[in-house]
Amino acid sequence: MTAATLLTIAEYWLIIGAICAAVFLTFGIDRIDEDARGSYIFRPLLVPGVMLIWPLVLWRWQVLERERDNWKLRHLPERKAHTAIWSALCLVLPLIVLLGLAVRQTPPDGAPIKLEEAR
Amino acid sequence: MSVKYIPVQWNTNKWIYDIVLILSVGIYLWIFIEWGPVLLDHGKPVTPQIHNARAFGSCAFLMLTLILCIGPAARLNQKFLPLLYNRRHFGVLTLFVALTHVGYILDWYYAFSPTPKLEGVLTANTSFGRVLGFPFEVFGIFGLVVLLLLAVTSHDFWLKFLTPRLWKRLHMLLYPAYAALVAHVALGALQDQTSPWRAIFILFSAGGVTALHAAAFLKEARSETTVSLNDWITVCDADDIEDGFARVVRLENGERVAVFRSGESFSAISNACAHQNGPLGEGRIVDGCVTCPWHGFQYRVSDGCSPEPFTERVPTYNLALDGAKIMLNPDANPPGTPTTPVSLGENGK
Repeated sequence: MTAATLLTIAEYWLIIGAICAAVFLTFGIDRIDEDARGSYIFRPLLVPGVMLIWPLVLWRWQVLERERDNWKLRHLPERKAHTAIWSALCLVLPLIVLLGLAVRQTPPDGAPIKLEEAR
Repeated sequence: MSVKYIPVQWNTNKWIYDIVLILSVGIYLWIFIEWGPVLLDHGKPVTPQIHNARAFGSCAFLMLTLILCIGPAARLNQKFLPLLYNRRHFGVLTLFVALTHVGYILDWYYAFSPTPKLEGVLTANTSFGRVLGFPFEVFGIFGLVVLLLLAVTSHDFWLKFLTPRLWKRLHMLLYPAYAALVAHVALGALQDQTSPWRAIFILFSAGGVTALHAAAFLKEARSETTVSLNDWITVCDADDIEDGFARVVRLENGERVAVFRSGESFSAISNACAHQNGPLGEGRIVDGCVTCPWHGFQYRVSDGCSPEPFTERVPTYNLALDGAKIMLNPDANPPGTPTTPVSLGENGK
């Protein structure tokens, strides 16, 4: 995949996200969050977020619309993943730094010599 | 904490926090830009644009390191809790500093790129098969995208909409992003100089973050009790809980329950705050309400509800006394369910 293709995909992703943001922040948000009703000034702040994670927004929107939210999960912090990630990072971070130091080069002493002078 | 959403929830403490933060960033950048060339003793001369890029890049990396240190530091010592209070503003400012770094890089190295600048970053170096000369820019791009994602989902609306659990999962991307940024610096800026200061800077940053997280994990593992899910479980003796404080019990299914003592009465609620799953069990009861140590959300311990006009609620648990021992029913009641506090001298089981 070329860089241009990657950037084009990102562009389309954001365009779809902008459409989702327009619909969600105009109609959807009032239906699923009572604290948002009558509050409009904060909504533009949410636009970039919806544009980036619009599939997640659409999924949560339909969960809340159908009242299928599992209240128990709201109060179950994600701690196992936190422990697992930091156990891995305890190894990975020092390794990355050591790798960087291991491949570090020593530049030649003195200023570069111009080709004309070297001749 | 508000009944209706507003763009940014500022109060006096947050203003002070933000002013100190912005001043600190300004002072760091001023010192780096004015005194950096002398102090850092650049191995080879650099242009002002590159020097500015390094100033903002190192500042963003340092800020991210500090952000990651705040959480475990607050768990190790509650004196650091005020730093946790407004950490999201810290994160958003870090994004702006990082974006300025990227701006200098794009405008200097890719100013005359035949392709669009962003495309130029992705195509200038594709030597993915080697360590020395690896296109370290990709690590920086990943870190920047994650910082952007976290900043744009930092409003309280996202916490409620996504649920704190899903929001946290999303925001845990910061950890791989930090590893990527360590790689970005280790394979990028670190390779450019022979001066030991950058190596020391990276070693202390990455080492400090790692050590603090390990220490916080060990402290938490020692202080909690894990119990199996029987019909009723024994928490501890009533006298083991100090008046106004809680004992946190970790159930086998991962739930944490905070059993509070208020005078001679005991009540139990979820240890996870409805806002950001902060540790309610580390809070203290004042006027029948416990205050979350992270962001100040309050809940009545008898029914798990925030006082009017706030609407946040947490699950409650039923307690009983077996002699002097406190017994807990591990089946959580739905958020906001009133319970009858048990008192010493009763035996409600």
